[in-house]
Amino acid sequence: MQCFLCVFILQVTYKWLSYTLGVHVNQAKQMLYDYVERKRKESSGAQLHVTYLVAGNLVQNGYICHKVAVVREDKLEAMKSKLATIASVHVYSIQKALLKDSGPLYNTDYDIIKTNLQNCSKFSAIHCAAAVPRTLAEVSQAHTSAQIDSQTPNDMQVASVPVTNGQVPSTAKQASQQPKGIMGMFAAKSSSKSQDTHKETKPESKETIGVSTASSKPPAKGNTMSNFFGKAAMNKLKASSESEQAKEEREVTKPSVPAAEPKLLPTTTVEKPGKKTEPVKIQKKDRKRAKRVDLSDNEEEKEAENLKKKRRRIKQPQSDSSDNEADGPASSISQEDRAPTPSPEPPPKAGLEPASTEVKASTGGKKRKRRRVLKSKTSLDDEGCMVTEKVFESESCTDSEEEFTKAKPASLHRQSTAPVKKDPKEDRRGPKKGAATASKANKQVSIMGFFQKK
Amino acid sequence: MFSEQAAPTAQGLLAPPSAEPSTFARAPVSTYTDCTEPFRLGQRSFSRQYAHIYATRLIQMRPLLEERAQHKWGSGIAMRKLCELQAGEKCCVVGTLFKSMQLQPSILREISEEHNLLPQPPRTKYIHQSDELILEDELQRIKLEGTIDVQKLVTGTILAIYGSEKDNGKFLVEDHCFADLPRQLPMRGPSTNHFVLLVSGLGLGSGSGESLLSMQLLVDVVTGQLGAEGEQSSAAQITRVILAGNLLSQSTQSRDTINKAKYLTKKTQAASVEAVKMLDEILLQLCTSVPVDVMPGEFDPTNYTLPQQPLHRCMLPLASTYSTLQLVTNPYQAEIDGVRFLGTSGQNISDIFKYSSMDDYMEILEWTLCVGHISPTAPDTLGCFPFYKSDPFIFTDCPHVYFCGNAPLFSSKLLKGRDGQQVLLVTVPDFSATQTACLINLCDLSCQPVSFSGFSADEDEGDMEIGH
Repeated sequence: MQCFLCVFILQVTYKWLSYTLGVHVNQAKQMLYDYVERKRKESSGAQLHVTYLVAGNLVQNGYICHKVAVVREDKLEAMKSKLATIASVHVYSIQKALLKDSGPLYNTDYDIIKTNLQNCSKFSAIHCAAAVPRTLAEVSQAHTSAQIDSQTPNDMQVASVPVTNGQVPSTAKQASQQPKGIMGMFAAKSSSKSQDTHKETKPESKETIGVSTASSKPPAKGNTMSNFFGKAAMNKLKASSESEQAKEEREVTKPSVPAAEPKLLPTTTVEKPGKKTEPVKIQKKDRKRAKRVDLSDNEEEKEAENLKKKRRRIKQPQSDSSDNEADGPASSISQEDRAPTPSPEPPPKAGLEPASTEVKASTGGKKRKRRRVLKSKTSLDDEGCMVTEKVFESESCTDSEEEFTKAKPASLHRQSTAPVKKDPKEDRRGPKKGAATASKANKQVSIMGFFQKK
Repeated sequence: MFSEQAAPTAQGLLAPPSAEPSTFARAPVSTYTDCTEPFRLGQRSFSRQYAHIYATRLIQMRPLLEERAQHKWGSGIAMRKLCELQAGEKCCVVGTLFKSMQLQPSILREISEEHNLLPQPPRTKYIHQSDELILEDELQRIKLEGTIDVQKLVTGTILAIYGSEKDNGKFLVEDHCFADLPRQLPMRGPSTNHFVLLVSGLGLGSGSGESLLSMQLLVDVVTGQLGAEGEQSSAAQITRVILAGNLLSQSTQSRDTINKAKYLTKKTQAASVEAVKMLDEILLQLCTSVPVDVMPGEFDPTNYTLPQQPLHRCMLPLASTYSTLQLVTNPYQAEIDGVRFLGTSGQNISDIFKYSSMDDYMEILEWTLCVGHISPTAPDTLGCFPFYKSDPFIFTDCPHVYFCGNAPLFSSKLLKGRDGQQVLLVTVPDFSATQTACLINLCDLSCQPVSFSGFSADEDEGDMEIGH
């Protein structure tokens, strides 16, 4: 007690003492009083100035007013005499210098309260049984109901729920969502479609920020997601581990994503490979590539249409199941450059990248630097529709083309059968290109090409 | 009441530390019912005209007034509509009052270019000798003369007048009557002392720290940190705290930023942001110890028109995690421990104050209860939502405690109605100016002001006497 006063502060209030020593407020008041008494008895010369709290009844304006006042020691008796009945007197604070006004007392109390906000009633004399913090489940429930009630404006609020909440509500929702099964996924997807569109625009920028590393590309266009499905359809996987990682990634990288999103993730985890999964959000689809074991073309298409989310580099999954399964995981993973989970991506994911693996095989240990270039590819659908896709192509420094299938199909054009059909096309293109590039590998583009076009 | 219980152990803490400091459990609220449903607005559409609210007000209150009129002037009197009036016939008419005031700010006059007038500066009172009263019912209107206090009454009041129509087309009033207090349900209050603390006008963010220490003292008394053991045990009997509006100070309004250029105000933060953070911390301290009801007021970040909707919980992230925090509407109606509370943050009373000769907030409060309407001047001079199905501001039953916030002074009165109703009327003073709150004892419907103070450099013996 002595050291507090002597060593460092100019004043000690009972509240400050109570929090610092972790004692009941009444004990703190008594300790202050005790200290003052002892010090004064010792009369060691150090002048202590004390303020007291006085409370009691006072007749004012015709009413009996209960007055609570902090007074300096010299005014204590005067105040006590004014009060008709005294309800309490105790030491409020001790300071070394005479206080001119009570401002500093407030500041000391304010500081100590601020640092102890979470347990500000711990040392008080009254305990309230009803003052229980709401559980996070209740809070998130309130948030989602608010979300459903009012549209977009609330999305921002929900999205800004502290990130820590993102973890818990998702698990809570997992439990509730799991029984729904696949149909639940479909239903949820259609309902949250509208939410998608709202959130897609907003989180777009955040996504890029969230994607920590590799993605130098602008936010991916939705097609990458659909490619995902193609791949996913092929893969066996460790669905659970995949989803968990995915979830973590997502929560780490996409704090802005509303809590509703993880809802679907858990359901897909349950779904296991072999079942059709229909994730609503593109990010989820990204991560859950592994789950798309049997993803049909239809599903892919639907998802592709829904996905306007920019997905960062995702390999184009447009390969047939059989092809993809054979592909090595490692290649796709490394090429993927998925920031959050580079290495742990399980082998199944790799299956999504037929072209990429082929490329990998061909380039083997060449280790060229590759640039990503956005190019448009036009191709004919099986229905005879022209489909134009913007594709990130990876070009090596020496201009040889290696096609990375990160397709973002223009969603309008995407027909149901397109992805599947494209896969073989892409495959064909892949090897073709590979051959072409190989041959062109050492050629420099000459300026004569410009004149020859005519 | 507080002090008497506490007196015996008043000096108990002027002693060396004792072994076991006592802790008191907060007295639990046995029943709480939130009756703010009529004041909560769902989808708000402002495409309707305000005439509907007057129409439904008249329709709802006409039966009450006819009954009162017959009670007062005999059941044989003729009840007439304005269109049925005959000159010279003594009859009773029920209608809505309209006071035509010369000084009433009129938006049309303000924007009228041909007059080239500057907008009227705000005044405290807009009454004038030349004001006139006009009675309107569903179809017609008629000017009133006679024994009726023109200065006192305000627009929007529903009343019954007794008199006759004169030849000049005006109605000569001999007597008038209002709806008077509605029926009251019996009060099933608690058997032991339970207190409710009413505070209004915290005025955070004002930039002046005078009332900050007093506010901290208030929070400390309620949460049981301040005071000797007797006082703390009394404070444990406070079952609820109601913050009646104006949690933020008027200076957080920053109205001038609307007129400033964007580039000047782009990076500046609204003054209300800091103030709301401070409010959140204070509410957190209170919520960990006692149920709190927060009503919005004139300067708080919610809608302007009555009924004001509750503050949004996203503004109070720390405090809203506690279930003891209740964000409620203004006006607020609830049943706490069997005692019906009804109150506003004071906009209705201060608006009537501006347009009537009545000066005392308590007088106006009582008058609104007698008239049977919380805010007759809405929507004429006070912003209001265009209701059309029913007017939620009409008293359907008599509350046991009727309060208004942000009054200049504290006052309380126990009003006894004709049919045995007992209402405690309380005007809660503005805390940032008076550092006074109100403590209501639910057991016997008594009210006591509680005031807090620190000390300042220029205080001397004499000042203490004046008090607040």
